[in-house]
Amino acid sequence: MKREENALWSIFGYLLSGLLFWGGVGWALDSWLGTTYLLLVGLLVGMGASLYLVWLRFGRE
Amino acid sequence: MRSLVRFSAEGEGFVPPSSNDFNLPPVFGNNIYTTKPILMVFFSVIVISVFFIAASRKAAIVPSKLQFAGESIYAFVRNDLARDVIGHEFMKFVPYLFTLFTFILTNNIFGIVPLLQFPAMSRVSFPYVLAVFTFVIFHYVGIRKQGLGKYVKDIMFMPGVPKAVYILLTPIELATFFLVRPLTLSLRLFANMFAGHLLLLVFIMGGDHLLKGVIGLKLVSPFAFAFGIGLTFFEFMVQCLQAYIFTLLTALYIAGALADEH
Repeated sequence: MKREENALWSIFGYLLSGLLFWGGVGWALDSWLGTTYLLLVGLLVGMGASLYLVWLRFGRE
Repeated sequence: MRSLVRFSAEGEGFVPPSSNDFNLPPVFGNNIYTTKPILMVFFSVIVISVFFIAASRKAAIVPSKLQFAGESIYAFVRNDLARDVIGHEFMKFVPYLFTLFTFILTNNIFGIVPLLQFPAMSRVSFPYVLAVFTFVIFHYVGIRKQGLGKYVKDIMFMPGVPKAVYILLTPIELATFFLVRPLTLSLRLFANMFAGHLLLLVFIMGGDHLLKGVIGLKLVSPFAFAFGIGLTFFEFMVQCLQAYIFTLLTALYIAGALADEH
């Protein structure tokens, strides 16, 4: 039960930091290059990478 | 909003509770270090100390009610949190986890104790400081156990991934361990206490305001108070839960830092 709780909070943390970091990179590139779509690209990349990381850690058993 | 609620009383309109209600003035003169939350934090330390000293002073094989209460809380933190999560090295961390749990729990419950009625953790600096303690401790434990290089390498590089993918994954891992963990830890506690206190303010102050209104509104007022009382019980549950979660996550982070691979 404790392990499941651990997994729950770790997954939440990964998803959040993926969105924050790569979304942040996209947003920074947007304001630097004057585009508008890179924020969305960054968020999607972050989401994908986070899900991959979650799968690596918890889905590989 | 203001115009909608204005009709409820003859005089001035209802001022909805806001974040301003959390900025309490200094109690003694102009000294900003004597606001109500700060004094309550000191008071909580006294309460906790007195309670556990009294509970353990006349320790007996057949425990008194007080001793039983004190030992139950201690056993809960030691067995259910420290031992089950951290494993065989848990005893070193019991003092910190126990302090953390009782401190947060007492300060949270102050939020519904009559006359005190303010959760200190709804001022964000207190959770920040607690999260900094946890942050320093779990990284220190990990570095001491595994060495700085191996500890950071374990965080940064998940095994079994093509090298190019690390560009995507490593920043996320670093952000998780060094930014998101302490932030979510403190903000979860802060937001729960803040929202809970605000909710109680809305119903109790709203009920009080309705009571001063016209006769129709007076009749509705008891419902607002009833909700306020119901939510107080709900708040009690949230307050215990948040103290538990903060301590549990601290234990989980320590356990993760101690484990060979995270």
